[in-house]
Amino acid sequence: MASVYKIIIIVGFISLFHAAFSAAQHRSYLRISSLEFTTLPLDIVIQAVLSLFAVMWGVLNVSGQLREIPAAAKLNLIKWENQMNISSFYSFNHRGRGLAYNYGADPCKDVMESLE
Amino acid sequence: MSSASKTKDTKPEPIAYSETALRNNAVVVEYCRTSMAALSGSTAGILGLTGLNGFAFYVFSVVVLWVMFMIKAGPNWNKYYVSRQSLLTNGFFGALFTYILFWTFIYGMVHVY
Repeated sequence: MASVYKIIIIVGFISLFHAAFSAAQHRSYLRISSLEFTTLPLDIVIQAVLSLFAVMWGVLNVSGQLREIPAAAKLNLIKWENQMNISSFYSFNHRGRGLAYNYGADPCKDVMESLE
Repeated sequence: MSSASKTKDTKPEPIAYSETALRNNAVVVEYCRTSMAALSGSTAGILGLTGLNGFAFYVFSVVVLWVMFMIKAGPNWNKYYVSRQSLLTNGFFGALFTYILFWTFIYGMVHVY
């Protein structure tokens, strides 16, 4: 996408230079034919102004991405699951163990029985 | 009494802005503004504007750049700029000198020589 705007900038610059050369040629023509300069031909004016707008639009899009200024803009994207995932607070030895299907079967008891 | 409490309620909450994002946006705006001054100065020189016409063209191009900023930011420009007015008026005279430099230079190149 950025390359499109770079092409717009390049084409706009070439067009602006072309308008400048046209204006210079118009001035030299007036000098040769010893006419008074009043204003440029309308097509050169339109070309110059339009290429100015094109280059401005291209520069605006090439110059960089705008960032969101509210301080919480980045923090708001973090999910609650990621925010709460603190490994130091992991607890495996809790009463939820009682929900396991083989809760009664204590492996330690088997070991004790085999020892006896 | 009731009106006093009402104004207290409607007082806007202070908004916290991200320092790095603000600075990044200011850099982008400054870059565009300088480029705009140089380019519009060149265009004014090509067009052969003299006197107050050139300054009117500068004001015109500043307004056009501002409109382009608004178009780029879209309807919720509040996310990117603190205020629209300061976006329009900030660095007006600083860029004006760049504009005059390019204006006189390109005018001399195209129309004098």
